[in-house]
Amino acid sequence: MNYLKYIIFGIATILCNHLFAQKIVRYDLFVRDTLVNFAGKEKKAYSVNGQIPMPELHFTEGDTAEIYIHNELHTETSIHWHGLILPNEQDGVPYLTTAPIKAGTTHIYKFPLVQNGTYWYHSHTKLQEQVGMYGAFIIHKKEKQELPEYTMVLSDWTNMKPFEVHRRLHNANDWSAIKKAKIQKGAAQSYADAITDKSLGIKLMNEWKRMLAMDVSDVYYDKFLTNGKVEDEAAQFKARDKIRLRIINGSSSTYFWLKYAGGKINVVASDGMDVEPVEVDRLIIAVAEIYDVVVTIPSDSTAFEFLATSEDRIRNTSLWLGSGIKQLASPLEPLKYFEGMKMMNGMIKMDGNLDDMGMNMSLQQMDMNVVMYPEITGRKNDKKTKEHDHSQMENQYNSNALSDIVTLNYSMLKSPTKTKLPDAPTKILNFTLTGNMNRYVWSINNKTVSETDKIMIKKGENVRIILYNNSMMRHPMHLHGHFFRIVNGHGDYSPLKNVLDIMPMETDTIEFAATESGDWFFHCHILYHMMSGMGRIFSYEDSPPNPQLPDPKKALKKLYRDDKEFHFMFENDFASNGNDGEMMYMNTRWKFQTEWRLGYMDKHGYESEAHFGRYFGKMQWLFPYVGFDWRYRKTHSDEIEKNIFGQYNTKALRSALCFGVQYTLPFMIVADGRIDSDGKLRLQLMREDIPLSKRLRMSLMYNSDFEYMGGLKYILSKKIALSAHYDSDMGLGGGFTFTY
Amino acid sequence: MKSILNLIIAIPTLLLSTSCDGQIKNAKTVTVKIDGNCEMCEKTIESAANQKNVVSLDWNKDTKQATISYDDSKTNPDEILKRVALAGYDNEKFLAPDEAYAGLPGCCKYDRNRKKSEIEKTITATTDTTAIEQSVVANQFKSIFDSYFELKNALVKTDTKTAGLKAVDLSSQLNKVDMSKLDNSQHEVWMKVYKDLIAESELIATAKNIEDQRIQFMDMSENMYKLLKVAKLATPVYYQHCPMYNDGKGANWLSMENAVKNPYYGSQMMSCGKTIETIK
Repeated sequence: MNYLKYIIFGIATILCNHLFAQKIVRYDLFVRDTLVNFAGKEKKAYSVNGQIPMPELHFTEGDTAEIYIHNELHTETSIHWHGLILPNEQDGVPYLTTAPIKAGTTHIYKFPLVQNGTYWYHSHTKLQEQVGMYGAFIIHKKEKQELPEYTMVLSDWTNMKPFEVHRRLHNANDWSAIKKAKIQKGAAQSYADAITDKSLGIKLMNEWKRMLAMDVSDVYYDKFLTNGKVEDEAAQFKARDKIRLRIINGSSSTYFWLKYAGGKINVVASDGMDVEPVEVDRLIIAVAEIYDVVVTIPSDSTAFEFLATSEDRIRNTSLWLGSGIKQLASPLEPLKYFEGMKMMNGMIKMDGNLDDMGMNMSLQQMDMNVVMYPEITGRKNDKKTKEHDHSQMENQYNSNALSDIVTLNYSMLKSPTKTKLPDAPTKILNFTLTGNMNRYVWSINNKTVSETDKIMIKKGENVRIILYNNSMMRHPMHLHGHFFRIVNGHGDYSPLKNVLDIMPMETDTIEFAATESGDWFFHCHILYHMMSGMGRIFSYEDSPPNPQLPDPKKALKKLYRDDKEFHFMFENDFASNGNDGEMMYMNTRWKFQTEWRLGYMDKHGYESEAHFGRYFGKMQWLFPYVGFDWRYRKTHSDEIEKNIFGQYNTKALRSALCFGVQYTLPFMIVADGRIDSDGKLRLQLMREDIPLSKRLRMSLMYNSDFEYMGGLKYILSKKIALSAHYDSDMGLGGGFTFTY
Repeated sequence: MKSILNLIIAIPTLLLSTSCDGQIKNAKTVTVKIDGNCEMCEKTIESAANQKNVVSLDWNKDTKQATISYDDSKTNPDEILKRVALAGYDNEKFLAPDEAYAGLPGCCKYDRNRKKSEIEKTITATTDTTAIEQSVVANQFKSIFDSYFELKNALVKTDTKTAGLKAVDLSSQLNKVDMSKLDNSQHEVWMKVYKDLIAESELIATAKNIEDQRIQFMDMSENMYKLLKVAKLATPVYYQHCPMYNDGKGANWLSMENAVKNPYYGSQMMSCGKTIETIK
């Protein structure tokens, strides 16, 4: 009897071993500091095993991945496996799911691969992804693939340090628009550009509605790369070959348009999951999104261009398929910025919210930006443009109805298998994506990650998220550790994805079955939006403790620090009549600001004002503050000044506490009312940085003490500008302004 | 004496050449072949390539040779030839995008010898002679329908100029048909419609505005529909209907795609209409 038991047990063990015969695939990744030259200058970057992008990792479904990360940096790092279904502590978000990989240590990731498809991996620490830490993660199907393959990892490169990029975005610094305008006229959208374009009215309305120059992307990039090169070549393919391209957008904040010189593009998978093949002329790939496409090489001894153009159409990167004479794809023409502004004017309400005029936009079908695409809506002053004025509202923004170019959108994606969620109670969440371009605050329901609690979910329930994008930019929203289905009219066959691109004014519904445990991040994958706090954490109730995070509370505080970070800004005008400067230290809600005017002589006076306050409201137009004011000036014969309210003031020597409130009016005029500890009132109107031309900025100020100021600034480089101003205290002066 | 003479000639030449090249630093010169036809081509090619103090390109329309002087530290021949190709001109290194070539004025449309023809996706090998003969017939009509579809696409885009050109193509295709190769039913239909079709295509070719072209296209589509019924094309064709055109009386057209793209209104009412019959 006993024998029998043993035999059965033995057979069972053998069977088990056989069924789960796991092949362990090991990779060793060495993260190192490196110097690279992508755009004319040697810059610091991070490489893995000496290369950027990180090595392409290959596995087969059913394998166990064992990956050793050797951190040879002087700082900590992390690796997140984007799109993979894995145990929570393997997800790689430092301080949330996984221990950070400290400098000089080795961390081992080990997880079974329960899916197949194209995925990627990247650092989830600070801004490391921008400087090289991204790579392809490919899991092959168990059965052999019938098509030859090629992987295309897209990325963006800037010579500016990512920290600098981030800091400047928070200061609404427009240097990147100036750089773009060097390549594409009109990209700065200044008043001069508006006049040349005969669109002054549009620009005025734009400023009336408190909008800065509109941008389809925030950052100026020096280069866009395919597998680390501006032009990559895959010469091994011949005529008639069908090739499966695995396209991964590993860039930090760039969307790409994809086109192929050799004909149609057949989309076969997205974010790792197969879709019913759909043939298109072009598609846009969001940040962190993945598409697998099949293309054919139509003729002999020719290399065909697979062209990726940044959404702002400033630069391209390409992959040449085949060998021989190079067949170019036709490039995308520059955007019609003022058409875009006009569209925004129509859509934005005076309170800063967006109004879709009852169009119920969703799933990338109505692209408001088509008004800026010459290939769809015609070049400016073309007959084509005029005709659209009569066009029906329902088609006004539908790219596929407006032209015979077929552009992929989410309503065209259909899963080949049923994706219906199990019958279970559904938790419904409404997320409004919110943002403030001017102060670069990005949030969900006007709250950042650190300003909210984790969202608790129960294993076994379904979670449905209704997203509405009330901001002026598109956002690629990514969910860790799960696939969600996009409810897109294909019912049971709705496609599965883990990144959802949502355009301004769109409403999209996604849903997933809660089947895991632990904490999972849901965030905008534009690196600088994520670091500003645009995300949420889903947390499973009753999850077991995470062995990698012995002190979860402390760890969470570390994570929250990311979006609470303060940004520093400094500006001083070294002028002939004195120094005039400003310093700011601010984060999502709080700002400490000090201004000074220092003459070279006593009679010009010395003056300084410091404010500390908090921004309120979704649009952050309201800013109450407390401050301190100090001034000294040597005046002639005790000259006494009187203000509008009949209050007297010596100006000679004063130090006072003050309370005030600033409010941003239309035309971005900042109204500032304050009362100081001497009971003195002051009202002031001020507008800074009016973009007269590409590089020329004007500032104006007037207040109830009869003080006024007017200034002009000509921006020479990202730090230096020539300036001239007239000030009622210090008179006329000229000099240069230094901005940090 | 002779050497002095040489010197006299050489000095100004030298001066001249230095004063010309003087503007481009680190100058390098290469000669390449660029396809093109006429003086207009020359202008377009040169202005696409030239950059002040960096690139100077001189193209000869007879030899098709271009001499490029460029600043070696700032650019390279590939960059320059890419710009030339993007302006519509095939060359040793790059083929122009089809859109760029199509946008060239008529006189500049050089023969694209460098472009390899696309390999046919389906090569059907048939040994049956009747089948071959039938396929010849089908081919006769096929090119007519191909031209018609191109004309329709131009009307969808509200592009009067292209529509005119496509109508010229169509009329030449109509004239090419060899009636002896038609079967009885085809012959019968052909005799009824071909004169009208030729007249209509000529009217579209000479029409000054899109409205006139569209009115003719309405009649033409009816005749094409009759022809299609006997043409036995390999691919399905969709017979589509717009209820609004012709003062609400409605009008029809043929299309290769099931998706509606209205040739009578273009982008004003792009997707107005529906498929009323699929002809296989």
